Amino acid sequence: MAQRGTNGSKVFVTVLYMAAVCSSVPIGDLLDRASQRSDKLHSLSTTLTQELDSHFPPIGRAIMPRPSMCHTSSLQTPNDKEQALQVSESDLLSLARSLLKSWADPLVILSVSANTLPHPAQSTISNKLQELQEHTKNLGDGLDVLSGKMGPAAQTVSFLPYSGGNDIGQDRLSKLANFHFLLSCFRRDSHKIDSFLKVLRCRAAKMQPEMC
Amino acid sequence: MKNMVVVGVLLLSLMPHANGAGFSPPGKPTLTSCRSPEKETFTCWWEPGSDGGLPTTYRLFYLKENIETVYECPDYLTAGENSCFFSKNNTSIWVNYNITVVATNELGSTMSDPVDIDVMYIVMPHPPEKVLVSVLEDKDWPFLRVSWEPPQKADTRSGWITLVYEVRIKLEEKDDWEVHLAGQQRVFNIFSLLSGGTYIVQVRCKPDHGFWSEWSSSTYVKVPNYFHRENSVWILITTFTAFIFLIVSWMIHMNRHSLKHCILPPVPGPKIKGFDKQLLKSGKSGDVFNALVASDFPPTTPPRCEDLLVEYLEVYIPEERELMREESKHLQDGFLKSEGFASDSDSGLGSCNSHTLLMDNSGEAKETDRRTDQERSRPGAEALTYAREDVSPDMSSGRVKTWPSVFSPLTPYSSGPTDQPGAKQHCLSDSVYPPGSTSPCSAQDLGLNYWEFCFSSMQPHLTQTRSDVNVSDIGPERAAARQQSPAPRPTEYVEVQRVSEEDMVLLQPVGPGPGPPARPGEDYSRVKGVRGHNVLLLQTEEEADGRACEELETKGAAHKPTACSHGGLPAPGRAAPAASGYVDTAMFVLPSC
Repeated sequence: MAQRGTNGSKVFVTVLYMAAVCSSVPIGDLLDRASQRSDKLHSLSTTLTQELDSHFPPIGRAIMPRPSMCHTSSLQTPNDKEQALQVSESDLLSLARSLLKSWADPLVILSVSANTLPHPAQSTISNKLQELQEHTKNLGDGLDVLSGKMGPAAQTVSFLPYSGGNDIGQDRLSKLANFHFLLSCFRRDSHKIDSFLKVLRCRAAKMQPEMC
Repeated sequence: MKNMVVVGVLLLSLMPHANGAGFSPPGKPTLTSCRSPEKETFTCWWEPGSDGGLPTTYRLFYLKENIETVYECPDYLTAGENSCFFSKNNTSIWVNYNITVVATNELGSTMSDPVDIDVMYIVMPHPPEKVLVSVLEDKDWPFLRVSWEPPQKADTRSGWITLVYEVRIKLEEKDDWEVHLAGQQRVFNIFSLLSGGTYIVQVRCKPDHGFWSEWSSSTYVKVPNYFHRENSVWILITTFTAFIFLIVSWMIHMNRHSLKHCILPPVPGPKIKGFDKQLLKSGKSGDVFNALVASDFPPTTPPRCEDLLVEYLEVYIPEERELMREESKHLQDGFLKSEGFASDSDSGLGSCNSHTLLMDNSGEAKETDRRTDQERSRPGAEALTYAREDVSPDMSSGRVKTWPSVFSPLTPYSSGPTDQPGAKQHCLSDSVYPPGSTSPCSAQDLGLNYWEFCFSSMQPHLTQTRSDVNVSDIGPERAAARQQSPAPRPTEYVEVQRVSEEDMVLLQPVGPGPGPPARPGEDYSRVKGVRGHNVLLLQTEEEADGRACEELETKGAAHKPTACSHGGLPAPGRAAPAASGYVDTAMFVLPSC
């Protein structure tokens, strides 16, 4: 694992040099932009969760599914720093892309149910959800560009289907509970993406140590 | 197993007290906070409840996501009292922890409320370290450069944790902090410092999605004194400004007059001829305006006929004034019939040479007479007309009766000749022969548009004779006709338009003006022509078209007037201009004396 990591970092540095020779935008800048977007994405999801929490019945937490029930939990991601720093850049990017792509459909379902959400801050939630979708799409496009520059290993994407169906609940309580649950899953995954990209950014900034 | 532990604790809590001496199971503890300084470890603190008087132990248990095993806190000591420290090996990120604290004493146990935490949400780093503040010079204006290091534990190099910083500064003696966000950089410059002041600087940091750290310890810095240099510059500027101000004020003082003219231009004085400013200043406005009144206006001495384009009519009716006074008493408010004036639209002044005006005037006079008669018939009708109208009714009627002829009564006219010259001075020529002079005047002397008469002592009787002749000559029918003649016409003058070579005098009626009061309402004949030396062909009024004419002899010669047999005029062309005019037959003397 460690060997792979060092080899991977060497390859990465080589790729970076090659990228630097070319006249296109350097990967470091691309990663910087990507990490800024992911930062914004996570902030949005945090705000959304707090909005929902403002008028959330306590009983709803009891019936909320456990976080391990997130549809992306099947994806193996590093759980601490040591693990994370040992993952190669391509894998990190692949993980980020996989997570992001897995949320495309559920976000649509969320935004649809947000229109009829039995919550006092329903309109704010709906608007923020729209913003969330836009940012997700933008970040996805950016990561696709990055993956194209980082070799074939970065191109692999794990497929994580959402099995929750189109309906998030029948009654008001289950609707709210499921909505809250989905958002918390997204919040976590957006944090993962953000962390991975920032690790990648600092790795690519060997020539610019002041960035990290 | 967890369930068994829980049940056991519950049973213990429900067991009765060992003794009722005030001891009780422990109170419920509370998890106050859990924090991770570097996203690699974390610590949880709790608040114990009442211990119930007995020694109480506290234990922390936690559950990790997807793992059924209940774990106990691995380290109760590192983080101090009532804390639990989770080391790196025990810390997983993106994993949900369910933590509970249990307080146990002899009498029982009490569990706290469980708390769910995820390490990614509880990051609060240590404050930045090695805060250095230095004073640097920038063109004699010093500034502070603050530099620091991230907290030691935080791994920013690998990008695992990203920190943003904040700097705050204040004067030592003040209370307000000046806060600056520094972003991800580790150096910061502060400008605009008070010279000689002592400042306190502090720095803190925050992860991208976490809590702010505590402020670093205060760093004191003293700014050197640079005020004296500042002062000298101000002194220089002040002196320069004062100098310029002095120069400008001196210049203004030197040019104050022209400046005054420029800013406050003098009011132009009145440009009225004859206006005396001094008089105005003295305050007698009456005098000022009287001075404006030209003494020679209207001109009392008649100007030359050539000078004036307007004809000047003189009015001499002494009785007129009395009548005028009477009339004025009857004047209604603002009602001034000025039809009389209308005929004299030029206030009695007409062109000496203007034929049309004279013709108009004569025509108007006729109408005016009729009108004025009508007015008089109307009670209370006021007519501020000139004397002839006013005077004529009283006298003319008498005279008409007395003299049922066209010709106006001559008796009053006898006094007329003396006035005549004056009245005749319508052109006001200097060459008017004075009345009563025996100087010969020939037709050639006339060079003026003037009918001049040589008055001799014969005149009065001449007129009488003429009038007699008139009366005798004019037949009764004529007299009747004349009686029926329209309202007495005012005296009209004739002026000679031109003197022909054949000793013919072309007469032109002068504009109807107020004639001498002696002869109001006289009728006149129109001169048809002149024949020979001393014959004037006259036209009666009814025969203005020249059906008949009369011959009148002049000069008092006992020439019998022969009726005009011919209807033609000896000089039709010449008579034409005079056709509309009238001649005062009484005045008729050819200038052959």
